[in-house]
Amino acid sequence: MKRRGFLKRLLLCTAGISLPAPLLRAAGAGAQPAPAPDIARVTGADYPVLVKETLDLLGGMKRFVSPGQRVVVKPNIGWDRNPDQAANTHPLVVRTLVEMACEADAGEVMVFDFPCNEKRRCYNNSGISDALAAIGDKRVKLTHMDKRKFKPITISDGKSLKAWDIYEDALTADCYINVPVAKHHGLSRLTLGLKNSMGVIGGRRGGLHHNLGQNLADLATVVRPSLTVIDATRILLDNGPQGGSLDDVRKMDTLLASTDPVAADALATTLFDLDPDAIASTVAAYQMGLGEMQPDNMNIMERSV
Amino acid sequence: MTTVPKKRRYLLLRRGRVLFQALSLLLFFYLFIKTDYTGSDTLEYAVNILFRLDPLLALATMAAVKTLLTLMLPALITVVLALALGRSFCGWLCPMGALLDGWSRLFGKPGRQSPTRFPHLPATLLVIILVSALLGLPLAGYIDPFSILVRGFSQALYPGLNDVSVAFFTWTYQQAPPLVNRIGEPIYAFLQQTVLPAEQKFYQWGLVSLAVLLLVFALEFYQRRFFCRNLCPLGALLGWFARLGFLAMDGGDTGCGTCRLCSSRCRMGAIDDQRHIDAGRCILCMDCFTSCPRQIIAFSRALPGVRAAEVSLPRRRFIGSLSAAVLLPAVLGTRTLASRPDPLLIRPPGSLAEAEFLQRCVRCGQCMQVCISNGLQPVMLRAGLEGMFSPYLVARTGYCEFNCTLCGQVCPTGAISELTREQKHRFKIGHAWFDKNLCLPYAKGIPCIVCEEHCPTPDKAIRFRAAAVLDDRGGTRIVKQPYVVDDWCIGCGICETMCPLPGRSGIFVTSDGEGRHPEKRLPAADGGGYGP
Repeated sequence: MKRRGFLKRLLLCTAGISLPAPLLRAAGAGAQPAPAPDIARVTGADYPVLVKETLDLLGGMKRFVSPGQRVVVKPNIGWDRNPDQAANTHPLVVRTLVEMACEADAGEVMVFDFPCNEKRRCYNNSGISDALAAIGDKRVKLTHMDKRKFKPITISDGKSLKAWDIYEDALTADCYINVPVAKHHGLSRLTLGLKNSMGVIGGRRGGLHHNLGQNLADLATVVRPSLTVIDATRILLDNGPQGGSLDDVRKMDTLLASTDPVAADALATTLFDLDPDAIASTVAAYQMGLGEMQPDNMNIMERSV
Repeated sequence: MTTVPKKRRYLLLRRGRVLFQALSLLLFFYLFIKTDYTGSDTLEYAVNILFRLDPLLALATMAAVKTLLTLMLPALITVVLALALGRSFCGWLCPMGALLDGWSRLFGKPGRQSPTRFPHLPATLLVIILVSALLGLPLAGYIDPFSILVRGFSQALYPGLNDVSVAFFTWTYQQAPPLVNRIGEPIYAFLQQTVLPAEQKFYQWGLVSLAVLLLVFALEFYQRRFFCRNLCPLGALLGWFARLGFLAMDGGDTGCGTCRLCSSRCRMGAIDDQRHIDAGRCILCMDCFTSCPRQIIAFSRALPGVRAAEVSLPRRRFIGSLSAAVLLPAVLGTRTLASRPDPLLIRPPGSLAEAEFLQRCVRCGQCMQVCISNGLQPVMLRAGLEGMFSPYLVARTGYCEFNCTLCGQVCPTGAISELTREQKHRFKIGHAWFDKNLCLPYAKGIPCIVCEEHCPTPDKAIRFRAAAVLDDRGGTRIVKQPYVVDDWCIGCGICETMCPLPGRSGIFVTSDGEGRHPEKRLPAADGGGYGP
């Protein structure tokens, strides 16, 4: 039998497995259907204005940050790449969110990530280091992660991931704002909000790739952002998650934001001309009742500025 | 001039010397700590200036490669200094000398100095080093005082300091009452910003580098400045220039009677029984100037070139060292590594072809100190006995950061040439290979493409194809199986570093295909490759 024939037959035989199973929400989701989550989708080329408008649609930063609170803004600063290469969250998006948290009288705004490349190079070349220094506010703390602050956490609702070391500040902050950049990823197809949470965990992170979708959903039961802002100002379509070639970058000038992390990821997936169920972590989280994944069931608020 | 102000002048000079030593030591440590990524792609300062000022390393590397190395021209400054002011470098500027003097002050026994144990050894070593360098055997880096010093600090003491600090402040953070942490945490933060490295580093053979340095310090208990008097070939070279040059010292005379205060105090054994002061050994420490009861020791001037007639090495010894230096290179070509180099010997990006690389490398260890991902490690025997302490990439420990060009910037001799970022992106130091018995998608049908995720080339050098595999329960699965694209892989090794397997990696890099050796070209499907 030729290889092509073998593959064809194999696909036929396993069709039952590979076809999407009917998506069922977890039983624990409650008898009452959850109200449709609000999600903002805003486009505009002036990023500070874009960020402000997006937050306004959701009720403004004051809805999430009360005076004196400890706030974490968690961008993706994973790679030694510059802002144009679309591998890290755009520095202006991060900066505007941090400024807004300061204006809402946050007591402290912590910004950190656990980069894949050398940490100092990532913080510098992503432009985030300079962008935050330009704010000139002592409450803003861009720090490298302190190994002492990883705590072993039991993930009691986890189906695949039962325990892992998680960064204390990410768990104890009064307000945790997840700010991923939307981009291509070889294994998970896209990396979005749920995947961005891998930046607050310690240990041998590569080990999570073995059942990545479920593991990320399990992680999402304990790392729970108050707000997810997905940076799609420019998106990386191929050779992710770090890219490097500008040919793979598409300018979108778009931000998505929601209090529902699954909804944010699901809607962001459509920016890549994919259906939300193409992303295993979205499906797994939806099935566990962590959020909504069907755009039809979301209250999408659109605006362009 | 009366004797009293003269004595005061000498006391002042002596105090000035100690101050000079302390300052130069501080400068050394400042440059040492600055030899790191500081937020810019280009290093501002680095401790490599010390090596570029070293005429021993300059002569040895230039003799080895038979070309003028402009990088090493600052060594001329030290030569001019020696011609004008004798071995003042050793007594006033050398950081190793400063540390040894400080060490003796703290732990040594003051008093009578014994005669130099091996007075001819430094010059013997100098001849062996220079002649064997000329014949292609690099040895200078093994005994050069700066190489010993920087290796010991960068590969053992400095990482050790960080390890101990981290352990201590982790303990206080976890166990101590809040009051202690209110004081301790700001101190820790301050230390991290100023003295401590950004990341804990790990080195193979760090303890060997430390042992060599500690030996130099231990010998101080046997004799003050033992290394400088009995071993240092740089000191011997500077002494030779000192004798050629202008500066002379008036020693004692017959009027001294039985007084031997000067010679018994001399830490360098530079004063003989007739109280003549040998400019080739005197390091201008000023001890005898200030302790002479008659105040007759003074500076004077010599006619340049006259004292060069005083041969520093007896003829028999000179011939002996010459033959030793000739014999060693003669047998180098007979070792197995001459016919089949070790494929795991991956040199830093920008390295010259192996023979010239080794001849230029002075084993200062700065490339390893500055290596931002801790991938560069000292070689022990993989590159032969003459290749010890030279750098190679151990990709399971750390990888070569795609945008980083620091190792080429700190190399004092150009053994690693300085690359632009664009050149670096294309510089192939080796090649990645999958071990399909270990790699999860191949061996167990488990999805995992961490290597592909980290592969830094804009067109990924690791890609994957979907394949149907049998898993260990006999079922069939579709997994993405990675493979290496020969044209893109530059051998940076991030795939091997990041491979999530707990022990041995499912992908590994070798020096095959490295750009500096065309004969290592990879085999190509179209029949090309295999040799030049």
